Amino acid sequence: MIRVRATFEKKGRAKYISHLDLNRCMLRTFRRSRLPIWYTEGFNPHPYYSFALALSLGYESSCEILDFNLTDDDISMEQIRDQLNAVMPEGMSIVSVALQEQKITAIAKAKYEFSLKTEDVDGLFEAVCQLTAAPEILIEKKTKKGMKTVDIKPDLEVLSCEKSDHSVDMTMYLPAGTQTNYNPSLFIEALKRVTEIPFESENIRRTAILCADNTPFK
Amino acid sequence: MSTLKEKIEKHLLEVQKPSRYIGGEVGSVIKDKSKVDVRFAFCFPDTYDIGMSHLGMKILYSLTNERENYWCERCFAPGLDFEEIMRKNDIPLYALESLDPIKDFDFIGFTLQYELSYTGVLNMLDLAGIPVFSKDRTEELTQIVVAGGPCVCNPEPLADFFDIFILGEGEEVNLELMDLYWEMKQQGAKRMDFLRRAAQIPGVYVPQFYHFFYKEDGTIDRMEVTDGAPEKITKRIIKDFDKVYYPDNFVVPFTEIVHDRVSVEVLRGCIRGCRFCQAGFIYRPFREKSTDTIVSETKSLCENTGYDEVSLASLSTSDHSEIDPMLTRLIKYTEGERVNLSLPSLRVDNFSESLLNKIKKVRKSGLTFAAEGGTQRLRDVINKNVSEEEIMSTCRIAFEGGYSAVKLYFMMGLPTETDEDIVGIAELAQRIIDLFYSIEDRPRGKGVQISISCATFVPKPFTPFQFEPQDTREMIEHKQKLLMDSVTSRKVKVSYHDPNVSMLEVILAKGDRRLCKSIYTAWKKGCKFDSWSEHFRFDLWLEAFAECGIDPAFYANRRFDYDEILPWDHLDYLVSKEFFIRENKTAHKAVTTPNCRERCSGCGVNKAVGRDCF
Repeated sequence: MIRVRATFEKKGRAKYISHLDLNRCMLRTFRRSRLPIWYTEGFNPHPYYSFALALSLGYESSCEILDFNLTDDDISMEQIRDQLNAVMPEGMSIVSVALQEQKITAIAKAKYEFSLKTEDVDGLFEAVCQLTAAPEILIEKKTKKGMKTVDIKPDLEVLSCEKSDHSVDMTMYLPAGTQTNYNPSLFIEALKRVTEIPFESENIRRTAILCADNTPFK
Repeated sequence: MSTLKEKIEKHLLEVQKPSRYIGGEVGSVIKDKSKVDVRFAFCFPDTYDIGMSHLGMKILYSLTNERENYWCERCFAPGLDFEEIMRKNDIPLYALESLDPIKDFDFIGFTLQYELSYTGVLNMLDLAGIPVFSKDRTEELTQIVVAGGPCVCNPEPLADFFDIFILGEGEEVNLELMDLYWEMKQQGAKRMDFLRRAAQIPGVYVPQFYHFFYKEDGTIDRMEVTDGAPEKITKRIIKDFDKVYYPDNFVVPFTEIVHDRVSVEVLRGCIRGCRFCQAGFIYRPFREKSTDTIVSETKSLCENTGYDEVSLASLSTSDHSEIDPMLTRLIKYTEGERVNLSLPSLRVDNFSESLLNKIKKVRKSGLTFAAEGGTQRLRDVINKNVSEEEIMSTCRIAFEGGYSAVKLYFMMGLPTETDEDIVGIAELAQRIIDLFYSIEDRPRGKGVQISISCATFVPKPFTPFQFEPQDTREMIEHKQKLLMDSVTSRKVKVSYHDPNVSMLEVILAKGDRRLCKSIYTAWKKGCKFDSWSEHFRFDLWLEAFAECGIDPAFYANRRFDYDEILPWDHLDYLVSKEFFIRENKTAHKAVTTPNCRERCSGCGVNKAVGRDCF
């Protein structure tokens, strides 16, 4: 048996596939691919596979991670990629396949890029700068125990913030993984509370999944 | 990127289950529209989750798309949340493959599977920006609104809204209609020219060429035909069913749908002749697929879709002449591939032990039996040829095999039904409980559970009961109360259907053209998704009937005379009216009719097809 880690894109119409639906979709994709996927043993055997991180509905990604086991050790990584890509839904494709190196718990952060579309680019840019420079950014986060106020400032790493014709474009790291998971909508909500300027977020995409030292998760 | 797609995407994250509205599913067919001659929007007048489960759409979708220059796309009714967004933002109803508005299509084709979806048709046409009434549509040859499906056997309540109804099986006639369209389109023909020629195709019914006149008592006096259309329109059937086109791939939805699995059609028609069952008559003659065909269709569909569940579709799967070898071969395949096999539509009377063991190998769930009537007399009236002995022996096999939950379906308000028949339902349930506790190797640990589900009987066209009145609400309420009082065991659970829903069903099923206005009025008042109990507004329907001068009881609670001209008499579903009259009389004598394999009862299908059924 080999433990495989595939990185895949989820773009275009595929961004409307919810995480729950993605699970079912992947099961059928594996079946169509006819790869020798390893089934769990026990009373109700099912193919074993898991996604490292859930992706919010409506987000695109170029770096989703899918782990699964195959019963055949001799199969090449290229063959796995090609067999899956031949049967993936529109908007989804395997970028690379490799053996699993790190444990899922090594994931610490994810990189996000998005645009804030507005008529008042200068004003919104100013508001973003003020928000990111503030000593704390408090947001309401829904947890299993109810609503909780969290300061996302210590965990927020803004990599870039640029003005373009009709939008403010941002790139940032946010914590991800088994411990803390923030997604850009928290930042966007916080921004909505501090500015009157109307804007819409668009094209939110995850572009890297990283370890604590900013190296790519493998 | 088209602007419509942008408009849709702008709001898609505001609605529930957005993947229903954007297409892109595995198995969906995308074509280059510049190379396509005829575009067909296959519309299901209910939401995606329900419509995507419909087998007929899967067949006709793939069949049409096999033709390079024709493109069939799917279209469903949006949920209320998305409909509001569509109306507010001028998003016209669009097809899921191209995301193009369906108003620009050549054909807008609806499948009419149940009467309570009729308001959904009007709502979808309106959302599409297509005039709801046929007479208001363009003179040009485009936007032809057609319908098929079982309800088309009496399409009169929808006659004003459709240009064409297609009777019977669509695998051949749909393409003939599209071929004619493309031929005439190239010649620059107008809409009316096309409709006149189309009416000459067997199975094609153009309602505007048929005119009805009524007597003073409200019944039909006569019908006049114009424009050279035929006096009778005969439904289409596929002669060589084993060779008929069947898709080797389905569109695989992302979101979960009602029947989220591969379905393989094993037979069409039914030999049983249950007198209440419309499907049992309108899909005659009985035809089956060979085991080879069934196995190979199962394999290719499972491989191409990636589904891990397959279900056999038919009216009565256990009537397949090769049921045992077929299941043996199917189970060999499904077990090897870790596919679940489900077998709905098994009959009580030929439910053998070996069959049960085969199903058990597959999955152990509850057992469901459609007993329909509480007493033997009533079961004889409806020709549900199931004896109490058979029900009991099947339950015994099931209990000994480890089952402890049994679901029983009954109808209430059947012709000749008395209080005794209602009490009989409770007594039958009690005897099943007693049987359970008399069995030595009954399942231990949990008690027996009997669920009784009672629907109100809806007399339907093209059945021996087409002449019958439906019980009034007062009668049904009395019977429901009686049943509740007769059930004494806590091991029996009883559930009902809303009798108002059944009343609307019978009106729409047996109605004539004068109902078109009421359907329009009810929809205008806000009726839609009538089959969803949370949206069903019978009060609005009653208002609509009153405003349009329609007496619901005329359709629902009146006995139609044998010699009366019925609204569907000009439609020929191959089973003769004489047969239905004969069967109706036999029913009232509580005499059964044997199934078609045992003896031909002369329904007329064999004459129409030109060969014996068996």
